[in-house]
Amino acid sequence: MANTEGRRSQLLRGVLDLCLLAVMEDGPAYGYEMTKRLRGRGLSIVGEGSIYPLLGRLERDGLVETHRAVSNGGPPRKYYSLSSAGEHALEAGVSEWQATRDAVDGALGLVKAEVRP
Amino acid sequence: MREFVEECRREWRRLGVPDPIANEMAADLTADLEEAEAEGGSPEDVLGNSAFDPRRFAASWATARGVTGPPSPDRRPLWRPSVAAVLTVILGALVVLAGLAVLVRSGSSSIAVATRRIVAGPGAIRLFGPGPGRIVIPGPLGRPIIGMQIAGHGHAFSLLLLLVAVVGILCLGLAALYWSPWFGPRRLRRHQGPRTPGWN
Repeated sequence: MANTEGRRSQLLRGVLDLCLLAVMEDGPAYGYEMTKRLRGRGLSIVGEGSIYPLLGRLERDGLVETHRAVSNGGPPRKYYSLSSAGEHALEAGVSEWQATRDAVDGALGLVKAEVRP
Repeated sequence: MREFVEECRREWRRLGVPDPIANEMAADLTADLEEAEAEGGSPEDVLGNSAFDPRRFAASWATARGVTGPPSPDRRPLWRPSVAAVLTVILGALVVLAGLAVLVRSGSSSIAVATRRIVAGPGAIRLFGPGPGRIVIPGPLGRPIIGMQIAGHGHAFSLLLLLVAVVGILCLGLAALYWSPWFGPRRLRRHQGPRTPGWN
């Protein structure tokens, strides 16, 4: 359904940067590696936009640090890792997301549904 | 895949992204796409729906990184307006020369142009009819609306020059519209805001 896809896309737009910061907690990663980590956590970006512009923005905002290193005998890759500002942003972002999610759940009536036996 | 990366490179060049940064981005992209391909994946696994729009993807990435060149109101080369102006002048000169050549070549000092609809019939004044050295634009029912006659000989050459003149005048008219401040693509461009690629 086109509307469902559109809403999912809109929702993801608001939190995908947060998800990227979250997967970087597992350690430095290059672009495609982060896509695979997201997929491993159940979040596929197929049909959504690419993560590269987001990584670029995170880098410009100083939320990630980068370095180049060889990966498994392959060509040198750009690795992204959390900066201290990124860690703070992740922490604040997670709280924000949880508060927003709880509020939306309340508005949708899901809280009552969850406590029902 | 190679084509996608090349298209991105062209877009970065157009946006004024410095070569070392563009090379770095292209290398990262290529490595990721190759890895996905080796794992049996597709470009979509790496790029999402951006895999279908390399230029937008490239612009979006460069803008997000803040590595585009200085903003320019119009990235068309500066020589284009100058060349257009020179061509307009040359075209005008050609029109004048063609007109003069027609007059000289035809041995006549005038070119007759009928500006009213000509009604054929008994007693009607028929300015021109079809024949050598005459241009007749037929109207409904085969009646001529506009007729031009070039007196004298050397008709083929004269006709050719006359056609050049007519085409030239039309081109000049279009050029005048282009350069006028009230109409044309320059006015349209002024009303268009800068294209800001979104997230994708």
